[in-house]
Amino acid sequence: MNLISLKIAAPAGFGVMSMGPMFAKVLKRSGFYVMGYPEYPSLIRGGYNSYQLLISDEPVYNPYIKTDILLTFTKLSFEKEKIEENVTVIADFEKLKVDKEKINAKIIDIPLSKILKENNLKDIVKNTLALGYVAKLLKIDYKIFEDVIKETMPEKHHEINLSALKIGYDICKNTFNFNFEKKDYQNHIIVTGNESTALSAIASGVNFYSTYPMTPASTVLHFLAKYAKDYGIIVKHTEDEIAGVTMAIGAAYAGARAMTGTSGGGFSLMVEGLGLAAITETPILFFISQRPGPATGMPTWQEQADLKFVLNASQDEFVRAVFTPGDITELFYAVNEALNIAEKYQIPTFVLSDKYLSESLFMDTEFNLNALKIDRGYVFEGDKDKPLEFFPRYKEVKDGIPQRAFPGTIGGIHKTPSNEHDEYGFVSDDAKVRKLMQDRRFKKLNSLANDMPQPKLYGDQTAETTFVCWGSTKTVLLEAMKYNKDFNFIHFPAIYPINWDETKALLQSANKLVLIENNFLGQLGQVIAENTGIIIEDKFLKYDGRPFFTEEILEYLGE
Amino acid sequence: MKAHELNTGKTPVWCPGCGNYAIWNALKGAIADLNLNPWEVVTVSGIGCSGKMVNHIRCYGFHSLHGRVLPVATGVKLANHKLTVIANGGDGDGYGMGMGHFVHAMRRNIDLTYIVHDNRTYGLTTGQASPTAKRGTVTKSTPEGVFEEPVNPIAFALSAGATFIARGYSGESEHLKELIKKAINHKGFALIDVLQPCVSFARDYSYDYYDSRIYFLDENYNSNNKESAFKLAFEKDKYALGIIYEDKSKPTYEEQHGVLKEKTLCEQGVKLKDISPLLKLYK
Ligand SMILES: Cc1ncc(C[n+]2csc(CCOP(=O)(O)OP(=O)(O)O)c2C)c(N)n1
Ligand code: SF4
Repeated sequence: MNLISLKIAAPAGFGVMSMGPMFAKVLKRSGFYVMGYPEYPSLIRGGYNSYQLLISDEPVYNPYIKTDILLTFTKLSFEKEKIEENVTVIADFEKLKVDKEKINAKIIDIPLSKILKENNLKDIVKNTLALGYVAKLLKIDYKIFEDVIKETMPEKHHEINLSALKIGYDICKNTFNFNFEKKDYQNHIIVTGNESTALSAIASGVNFYSTYPMTPASTVLHFLAKYAKDYGIIVKHTEDEIAGVTMAIGAAYAGARAMTGTSGGGFSLMVEGLGLAAITETPILFFISQRPGPATGMPTWQEQADLKFVLNASQDEFVRAVFTPGDITELFYAVNEALNIAEKYQIPTFVLSDKYLSESLFMDTEFNLNALKIDRGYVFEGDKDKPLEFFPRYKEVKDGIPQRAFPGTIGGIHKTPSNEHDEYGFVSDDAKVRKLMQDRRFKKLNSLANDMPQPKLYGDQTAETTFVCWGSTKTVLLEAMKYNKDFNFIHFPAIYPINWDETKALLQSANKLVLIENNFLGQLGQVIAENTGIIIEDKFLKYDGRPFFTEEILEYLGE
Repeated sequence: MKAHELNTGKTPVWCPGCGNYAIWNALKGAIADLNLNPWEVVTVSGIGCSGKMVNHIRCYGFHSLHGRVLPVATGVKLANHKLTVIANGGDGDGYGMGMGHFVHAMRRNIDLTYIVHDNRTYGLTTGQASPTAKRGTVTKSTPEGVFEEPVNPIAFALSAGATFIARGYSGESEHLKELIKKAINHKGFALIDVLQPCVSFARDYSYDYYDSRIYFLDENYNSNNKESAFKLAFEKDKYALGIIYEDKSKPTYEEQHGVLKEKTLCEQGVKLKDISPLLKLYK
C-alpha cells in the first residue's frame, strides 16, 4: 500500500477549509483514493487551521499523525507539527521569516509573494499558486485542476485563480518520488459526514428542518437551507433549540416529515421537546453531532461522549431508537432508516455523529438511491361520515402502535397532550389508563429491536484481540487493519434497541475484548455491561479532543 | 354549527367563577360564527389553567409544554397553512417561560391567533406571582412582594412588530367573541391579551376591579397608529378594550415562503426525492 500524508496549514480565514475539499476532488479525479481531515480552533481569523489529505492507491479511511508533505502559510507550523528529516516542507520562507537552515527537513522554498507581485496578482491567490505547485509535484494533470476550479469557484474568481494555478505548475520543476497505481474512481463520491446526512435527509423526503446553529451540526442546516427551495423543504433557523425542536414537533404532528439537528449543548435544551415527542408519539429525527465538554466545551473538536446522555435524556421511561453509524455510507442509510422508524413506530429517533465523522471528507462508492424507502406507518385517511366524532388516536392498531390522524382529516379529531392521556388524547391520571398506555407504548420495543441494524464483526474471526466500538471509530480500525491482522473488531451501528442475546453471543465468541472509545468512561462498555453482564476490562480511551490516529492503534497493538 | 356543538363532553375543572369560562364561550362562539369546520381548526395550548382549553373544544388540539405553545403552533401552521391555528396560554406561560418565543412569533408575523389568559398569577401552581403582577404583590414565592416591574404585554407586542394587538376581558364575553373573530380573520400574528380574573388567587384583580376600570375603544379610534397605541398601552389604572393596533399591510411569514407559494407543505406530500444532480457535485 502506498500513502502520502499531505497537510495544508494556515491561519484561520486563509481558505484552508475550502482548499482541502477542492484539492481532494482534484486528487480523486486524478485516480487517487483520498481522505480529508480538518483541524481548526473556534476562531474566524488567526489561530492555526490545518487540512490533512491522505492520498493512497487503495481505500484510506482515517487520519495519521505523520506528515509527508507540509504546505504551510504560517510560522506556527514549526511549533505545531512534527517536522523530521523525511518531511517535505513547502513554504515562502522569506515571507514567514523562518530560518530554513534550522529546519531539519526537505525544504522547498517558494517566494510566493514575490512571484505574485511580479505577475501583478493579488495575494489572495497565494494558496492556488502553491497548490498548483503541489499538484505538479504529484504529477497531476493541469486540466483536471482547471476543471475543478471552474466548477467550485464563482466565475468572477476564475481568471485570477487560473493565472496563479498556471504559474504554480510552471515553476515546479521536480516531482515527488512515488509510484502509485491510479484507478478510475468515477463511481465514487467524496463527501463529509454532514453532507451525507443532509443528502439523505433530502432524498428521504424530509420537508421540515428547524434548529439553532451549533458546531459541528450547523453545516447540515446550511446545506438544507441552500437546497430548501429546490426540494420543497421548510428550513427554519429558530430563536433557540427549544423552539427548534418544538416547531419540528408541531410540523410533524400536522403531517410533515420533520428533523432537527444539533450538538450536545443544543440537545440539552431540546430534551424537553424529546419528552414531548415521546408522550405525544410524534415522529421526529434528532441528528446529533458530538463534540467535547459539557456546556460550551471545545466546539471544533472530537469526542464521542454523549451516548449515555442520548440514551437516557428526559424524565421517565419511553421508547426511542439510537443509530450510531460508522461512516458516510452507514450515515446516509441510517438517516433514511431512522426517519422511517420514527414514523413507523411514532417515536423519537436519533442519529449520532461526531465532529470527526461530520466534518472529515470520506470517499466511497456512490450511494444507492434505490435502496431508500419511505414508510410513514399507520396514517388515518379520514371518514366523511363521522366528521365530529372523536378519533381513537392512541388506541393500539398493531404491536403497540396506534394510528395517526393529521389535523385537517375529517373524522380524525383527537387531542394531543403532553400529559398522560386516554385513547382519544384526553388528559387522564387514572391508574388503569396510565398502565395501559405505558404497556402499549413499550410493546413497540419487541419488533423495533429487530428493525435496527445489529452489531457486526469486521476482520478475521479468530483474531487475538477484538476491539469493541461504535460510531466513527469504525473507520479508525478499518485503517489500522491494513497493517495488522492480529485484531478484529465489533462495531455497533445502532445501540438501542438491539437484539442483546445475539450481541452477547457475538461478544462471547471473541478471544480478548478491548473497548475503544473517544470518551473517558467507556460508555458503550457500560451499556454492554448493563444489557449482557459482560464487563470489558481492557479499555483504550481517548478524550483529548482528537480522533484516534492510525499510528496510535498500531502502537497500542505493540508495533 | 352551533357553539354548544363544539363542546367535547368533558366538564371543565376551572374554579367556579373563573374568567376562563368566558374565554371558552367566546372562543366556541367565534368558531361557530365564522362557520369553520372543526377538523380544520387546531387549538394549541401551553400549560396552566389556561392550557386546559384544548380539552374543551371539539376540534384538533395539541396541549403542549409550559411556555412552548407558539413554536408548536408555528410548526403546525407551516406544515399546513390552510388550517386555522389558535394558540391559548397564560401570562406565566407566554410572558414568562415563553417570552423569547413570543417576541419571535410576532417578528415572524406568522398567521396565528394567540389568546393570552392574563390573570396576573400562576393559577395552576396555586398563585405565585406572574410576570404581569404589579410591583409589591405578595405571594407564596414573593413574601416580600414582587421587586420587578410588570411586563406590559401591549407595549411589548407593539415594539416587537405584532400586526394585530387587542385587549379583551372575561367580563365582556360577547365583545371578546367579536375580537377573536377579527383576530382569526386577521392575516398575520394576532395577540389578544385577555384580562381574566382568577377568583382563587389573584384577588387584587377581581371582576369588580376591572369593571370599574375598563372602557371600549370607539369607531373614532384609529387602530393603525402606533403612537396612539403606545399611549393606550401605558394608560394608568384604565384598560381600553378592543383592537389597539392593527396593520394589514405586512405580508405573513407563510406568504413570503417560496416553498409555500402554491401548495401547503402537507399537500406537497412526503416522497423520495432524486438527489442525483446533487451527488454529481461530489464526484
Ligand atoms: C417546565 C415546567 N415548569 C413548571 C411547570 C409547572 N407549571 C405548570 S402551570 C405553571 C404556571 C401557570 O401560570 P400561567 O401561565 O399564568 O397560567 P394559569 O394557570 O394562571 O392559567 C407552572 C409554573 C411546568 N408544567 N413545566
Ligand atoms: S386557579 Fe384561577 S385561573 Fe385557575 S381555574 Fe381557578 S380561578 Fe381559574
